[in-house]
Amino acid sequence: MTVQLPILDDRAGQARTSPEHVRISMASAIALRMRSGRFSRDFDFGGINLLLSYDEGCLSDCGYCGLARTRPGAYGDKSFIRVEWPLVRTDDLVARMAEHEATLTRLCISMVTHGHAYRDTCDITRRITAAVRTPLSILVAPPTLSRRRLETFKALGVDMIGIGLDAVTEQLFRSLRTDVPAGGLKWEKYWEVIGDAREIFGPWKVNVHTLVGLGETDRDLVEIFLALRDRQVFSYLFCFNPEPGSRLAARPKSALTRWRRMQLARHLIEAEGYGAERFEFDQAGTLVRLRADRAAVAAVAGQGVAFMTNGCPGGDGQPGCTRPYGSYRPSEPFRDYPFPPAAGDLRDIGAQLRLESLVP
Amino acid sequence: MVNGFPVATDRLYHPATHMWVAISGGIARIGLDALGIETSGALAQLSVPAPGAEVTAGRPFGQLEAAKFVGPLVSPVSGTLVAVNEAVLADPGLAERDPYGAGWLAEVALAEPDGARPGLLAGREEITRWFAAAVDDYRARGVLAE
Repeated sequence: MTVQLPILDDRAGQARTSPEHVRISMASAIALRMRSGRFSRDFDFGGINLLLSYDEGCLSDCGYCGLARTRPGAYGDKSFIRVEWPLVRTDDLVARMAEHEATLTRLCISMVTHGHAYRDTCDITRRITAAVRTPLSILVAPPTLSRRRLETFKALGVDMIGIGLDAVTEQLFRSLRTDVPAGGLKWEKYWEVIGDAREIFGPWKVNVHTLVGLGETDRDLVEIFLALRDRQVFSYLFCFNPEPGSRLAARPKSALTRWRRMQLARHLIEAEGYGAERFEFDQAGTLVRLRADRAAVAAVAGQGVAFMTNGCPGGDGQPGCTRPYGSYRPSEPFRDYPFPPAAGDLRDIGAQLRLESLVP
Repeated sequence: MVNGFPVATDRLYHPATHMWVAISGGIARIGLDALGIETSGALAQLSVPAPGAEVTAGRPFGQLEAAKFVGPLVSPVSGTLVAVNEAVLADPGLAERDPYGAGWLAEVALAEPDGARPGLLAGREEITRWFAAAVDDYRARGVLAE
């Protein structure tokens, strides 16, 4: 088989931890030719995702996450977003990114909750910005941060900050991330970091990850889309995808119709300026009606942008981080599209969206 | 080895789908070659129908799913499935580790045991020439690790 020298066997021998080593997404490994493989659909891909790696793993214990502290298994064997994240030498990765710089659109370092995460993120950021000009984001671990540390990220050349709030209500956050066996994450701390990042990095330079399918209502999601939009903070929508072995492993994904409607609602709020008065919910908080002209909504949906991956842009303003097959298997229907949906995709989306019952 | 990849030259190949065929006594054992597996990426799941199913040359009969790719398994022959390799279905990595041996996929009772095999490559020279060109093509397309 092909020689894959840059990929390390992390199950044997000495510790290989950040900052000298990082994990990268499988899509990144394929794009950088550190792993063989291809995507089911042919499209340009240049969004490289890095993940800090420690023997102790992530010290948080979120009920839905593959890296959760109390999820069974050694950290090196754990999946994140369901697939293996290959471990590589940081300097090999930076050299490979420099070699492929012309095709790269966005880089992102994902922190984990660990005592060394801030120090090591700074170290890795310096190595990257010294060699590669592709814009760099950090998906931060709020428990490890302060305002001063966020300022340091900006000074090092980071242009966007992501915060993985995931659970969109305080009650849900507490039940999944705070009041759990090895939890303790604080809702207030996450919002403090969102506020500080917004002030330091500026409008539309901060994003908050919001997950569909953890037990929240449509109303909860629409309310947070509105609140973030009003602060000029992006909401990046993710579809809950059950991780085997996690506490939510048996929880089903949201229905496609609900997912599509939440994608559309987020887009209408963020890109089309829709306000709260446009959305009507039933007693259970389910979106039942959109007060709008159906032709206008259909025209927006027909552009397809609403259903593409939410991610930080590339230097040209186009989607830069597109995470192909990040929340669904290649054999499953697309959840978010890492490319502009084609005519056939738009037909599928239309059937899943069932706009006629939402906009009478 | 041809351009860094193993290839067994004692069997037939369908070049477009990277399926191999080893025929013995009217039974065709079929599998995926090393290049077909490598270029799919890390295998996640292989699916084939139960014995008794009819398969047709050139038509899908199963599915391969990898980390970022899904595609059909296309039968190189026509006939009736008489066996499937349960070991490789339980552990798709077996096909990665031993594509020409323990990683076989299925056995087919040939509809025409003595019929011609149009579209299948045979013979060491023909196979290695095709295989080398296929490796070069995949490398040029950026599908192979380097």
